[in-house]
Amino acid sequence: MIQVDANKCLGCFACSNICPNQFITREEEEGKRRTIRWSKCKEECDICVEFCPAKALTLIPYSDSTPEVIEVSFDLVPCEVCKKGFATEPLLKRIRETVPSNLQTDSTGRSWVEICPFCRRELEAEMASKQVVQSRRK
Amino acid sequence: MMRVYVDINRCIGCRSCEVACKRVHGGKGHVNVHISEDRASVPLFCHHCEEAACTMACYSGALTKDGERTSFSLDKCTGCGLCRLACPFGVVWTDKLAHKCDLCAPNETPTCVLTCPAQALSNDYELALKRARARAGRATILGGKR
Amino acid sequence: MSKSLVSTICPYCAAGCGFYVAVEKGRATGIEYMLEHPANEGSLCPKGNAALEVVYSEDRLLYPMKRNGNEWSRISWDEALKLVSKGLGRTIKNSGPDFAGFLSSSKCTNEENYLIQKLARSLGSRNVDNCARLCHAPSVVGLNRTLGAAGMTNPIPDLANSKCIFVIGSNLAENHAILSRWIHRAKDRGAQVIVADPRLTHTAWLADLFLQLKPGTDVALLNAMMKVIIDEDLVDKAFISKSTKGFEDLVKAVKDYTPEKAAEITGVPAKDIVKVARMYAKSPASAILYSMGITQHTSGTDNVQSVANLALITGQIGKEGTGVLPLRGHNNVQGACDMGALAEFYPGYRKSDDPETAKFFGQTWDTISLPVGRGLTATEMIDAACNGELKAMYIVGEDPANSDPWSSHVKDCLENLDFLVVQDIFMTATAQLADVVLPAASWAEKEGTYTSTERRVQWSNRALEPPGEAKSDLEIVCMVAKSMGLNFDYPDAASVLAEINRLVPTYKGITRERLGIGGLIWPCPSTDHPGTPILHSAGFKLQDGRALIAPVQYKPAAEDTGTEYPLILTTGRIAVHFNAGSMTRRSPSLMERAPNLFVEINPEDAAPLRINDGDSVEVTTERGTTTALARVTDSVKQGVVFMPFHYPGTNFLTTDARDAEAKIPEFKVAACNIVRRD
Repeated sequence: MIQVDANKCLGCFACSNICPNQFITREEEEGKRRTIRWSKCKEECDICVEFCPAKALTLIPYSDSTPEVIEVSFDLVPCEVCKKGFATEPLLKRIRETVPSNLQTDSTGRSWVEICPFCRRELEAEMASKQVVQSRRK
Repeated sequence: MMRVYVDINRCIGCRSCEVACKRVHGGKGHVNVHISEDRASVPLFCHHCEEAACTMACYSGALTKDGERTSFSLDKCTGCGLCRLACPFGVVWTDKLAHKCDLCAPNETPTCVLTCPAQALSNDYELALKRARARAGRATILGGKR
Repeated sequence: MSKSLVSTICPYCAAGCGFYVAVEKGRATGIEYMLEHPANEGSLCPKGNAALEVVYSEDRLLYPMKRNGNEWSRISWDEALKLVSKGLGRTIKNSGPDFAGFLSSSKCTNEENYLIQKLARSLGSRNVDNCARLCHAPSVVGLNRTLGAAGMTNPIPDLANSKCIFVIGSNLAENHAILSRWIHRAKDRGAQVIVADPRLTHTAWLADLFLQLKPGTDVALLNAMMKVIIDEDLVDKAFISKSTKGFEDLVKAVKDYTPEKAAEITGVPAKDIVKVARMYAKSPASAILYSMGITQHTSGTDNVQSVANLALITGQIGKEGTGVLPLRGHNNVQGACDMGALAEFYPGYRKSDDPETAKFFGQTWDTISLPVGRGLTATEMIDAACNGELKAMYIVGEDPANSDPWSSHVKDCLENLDFLVVQDIFMTATAQLADVVLPAASWAEKEGTYTSTERRVQWSNRALEPPGEAKSDLEIVCMVAKSMGLNFDYPDAASVLAEINRLVPTYKGITRERLGIGGLIWPCPSTDHPGTPILHSAGFKLQDGRALIAPVQYKPAAEDTGTEYPLILTTGRIAVHFNAGSMTRRSPSLMERAPNLFVEINPEDAAPLRINDGDSVEVTTERGTTTALARVTDSVKQGVVFMPFHYPGTNFLTTDARDAEAKIPEFKVAACNIVRRD
C-alpha cells in the first residue's frame, strides 16, 4: 500500500493518471478546490511512487489499521487577472523553483506565474496586437 | 523543421488553423485564436522557445528541446500539469495528458500554415522578415499609417 | 493498406476550393490539401476543414420516408416514387402544371440542376427556381442588363494584379476566406484596399480605408462617388465613348449627389467619399468586390447596376486587376443559374418568356410544348403556396423554412400545400413539413461539375458510397422523371454534361475529358478553347457590343425605424457557419466555436437598455421575437444591430419586402427593438 506525505504532495495529477487500477482519484470543485484520494491498495505496485514528481509517495507493507482512504485537499490559488482558482500553491512553488527567475517575467517585467493559462493567452494576444490595433484606430 | 511565424496584419480570425489543427491531432487542437478589441485576431500556439520553461518544469523527460523544436513524447508524460503552469504563454494544455504544437512532425510544413487562407502563418523566417520590411515601406508611402 | 486520394470540390461556399478526400477501405479518413489548386492553393477555411463531419453525421437521412400526421415511417424507394409521381401528377392533372413548383439546389451539381429544371419544364411547369433568389438574383438581372453577362468578370487569382480593391457589402474574410489570400498578395504589391460595410468586420481589417455606412444606403454612396469622378474629370472618356451607352443619363442622374448630401444619408464622412472616389478612379487597375450587402435589399438590382456604372465610367473592366466581382454564396449557385434553374431563364440564360427558347429546347428534349413565360420565383412560390395558387412542390436540397425571411409565415405556407416532397441529406425544418422525404447523397458521395463564383467549372469525384439507401440527386431525379413517364436515361453525370455541352454555348467546350484540377472557366465555346478568365476584354455581349450605363436613384429601405422599433437589424454570416446552418450546425468542431445565436449591439445603445455583454436578450420585429445573447461591441454603429442568419431565430425576424424586379427579400434591413430578458 501507499503512504502519502501530505506536506510534500503538490496536488498534481500524475499519480491519479498513472495508477493502473484507478485506486487514486481526484475531484475538483471548478476554480476553487482540488482533492486527491488514495484508496487503500494491496498491490505490490509502485508505479505511482516512481512517477510522483515530489517524491511524496512510499510503498509500505499492507496494514489493517490504516484508514481506507487517504485524502489530501488544496485550495486553488486565484488567477491574478480573472480571480478564478487555477493551480495549487505547491505546484506554483515548484514552477518558481524550476524555472529560472529571469524567465518568470514577461517583456514588461510582470510575473506570469500567478496568472492562469487562459489569461496568459489573453495578455499575450493583447500585447502582440496592441501596437497594430492602436495604429488602426487612427 | 522551422517554427511558425504569425503576421497579425494578415490574420482574418477565421479560425481555420484551430479547426485544422484539431482535425489532424485526433481531436485535440493546439492553436487558439484570440480576438483583441473586436479587431485584431491573434493565433496563439507554442513558440518553441529557445529557453523553454516547460522543458525545465517537466520532470519525466516528456518535454525536451530537439533542435529548434520543443518536442513532446506522449509515452513519457504523466499528465502532472506542471508544463501547463510553466508555459508563460498558456499554450501547453493538459487534457489528462499534455498536448501542444508539434509543428506537425514529421511533415515538413505544419497543417496550420498550409490551411491558413490569408497566409498569416508561415514557417519561412525570410518571408516574415520581408513582409515586415514591406509594411514599413508602405507606411511611409501612405503617410505614416502602419 | 491502400489509401486513395480523391479530388473533390468543397461543398460550402462558391470560392470553389479543391481538396482531396483520403479514403481507406471505403471510409474517408481525412482531408489532404490540394496545393496545386489555382484558387485556394491548398488552403481551406474552417468549414472546408470540417467538411467530412457532415458526411458522417448521425443525422443523415438513410431511407425514403413518408409522414402520417406527426409520425414518420420508413418506406421503400418504389413506394416513395409512387407517392411522388402520384402527388405531383395529381396536381398537374387536376389543377394544371403551373400549380406545381420546383426548387432546385445551388448545392447540387450542374448536371443535377440541369435535370431538375428539365423535369419541371418537361412536366409543363414554368415554376423552377433556386436559392440564388435569396443571394444574387439582383446580380443576374443587373449584370445581364448592364454588362451582358452575370458572373464575376475576373477570376479570383487576378485580384493579385489589382492596384485598388473596393469591397462593398461583403464580409469575404469570413465568408470567402481564401479571397483574403489574393487581397493580401495585391497589397504586398502595393494595392490599396477600401472596405464599405455597416460593421467593422474581419474584412475591414484588410482595409486601408474603412467606410462604415448605414445599411441600405449603398446607392447614395456610389452615386456620390460617381459625381466626384465626373466633376473631377476622372472618367475614362475613350472607354465610355467606345464601349458604353447611357453616360449622359448618368451625369444627370447623379448631379445632386454631392458628397455632403451622401454623407448625410450614409453616415460616411464626405471627405472619405471624395478620397475613395479618387483612389478607385485614378488607380491603374481597380476591382470591385461585392456580395449580399449589395444584393439583399429592396434596392438590390439598383445597387448592382450602380456598382457596374462605377466600373464602366472609369473603364475599370475587361482588363487584368479590374472588374465587377460578385461573390456568390453556395458552391454551385453560379452553375444552378447557368443551368436555367431560374424562373426567368432556361439553360444558358435563354429567356423563358421567349417562344424561340421553348422551341429550341423542345427540339432536343422530345417534349412537344415546353412552357413559355416567366415562372414563379422561389419567394413567390411561398406566397402562391399560401393563397392556393401552388398546390404541390418538389424541393431539392434547400431549406426555405430556415433560409427565407419571416420563417413562421413560410412554414404556414408550406403546410398549406396539398403535396410536398423534399430531397435532402438531413431532416431539415423544411423536410419536417413534407409528405415524402427522399435521402440524398452528399457531395463526397457523388460526381459531377460545380461552377464556382469565378465561373470556374470543376469536376468533383465520388469518394464514398452514400449511406443507407441514399442516392445521388441525379439518380433520384431520373427515377422521379421516369416514374412520371419521361425519358430520362442518364447513366451518369458525364452523359448529362454531354447534353449541356450541346445546348449551352458557354459550356460547349467544357467536356468531361478536359476537366482536370482547376477545371475550365466559361465561356468556353469549343473543345480547343482555353476558357475565358477575363470577361468583356473585347466588348460586351449586348447591342453594338456596348455596355449599358443604367443610372439609378437612391431609395430608402422598405422598413424605417420609429419609436416602437428604434434599431436597424442587419444580418449576415460568420466564418464557422454556413447559410441556414443545416450542415454546419451538425458539425461538432464548428458548432463548438459558435454554438449560440448572438446579436451585436453598440455600447451606446446597450447602456440605456441595461444590456451587458453576454446577457440574454429578446429581439423583436413586426414579425416575431427571438432570443439571443448580446455582444456589446463598437464594431456596429449606434442604431444598428447585427445577427448572423445561421440559426433558426434570425429569419423569424427578417422582412419579406422584396426588390421589385429580382424578387430578393431585404434580409439586410429590418426595424427592431431589443430588451433584456430578466
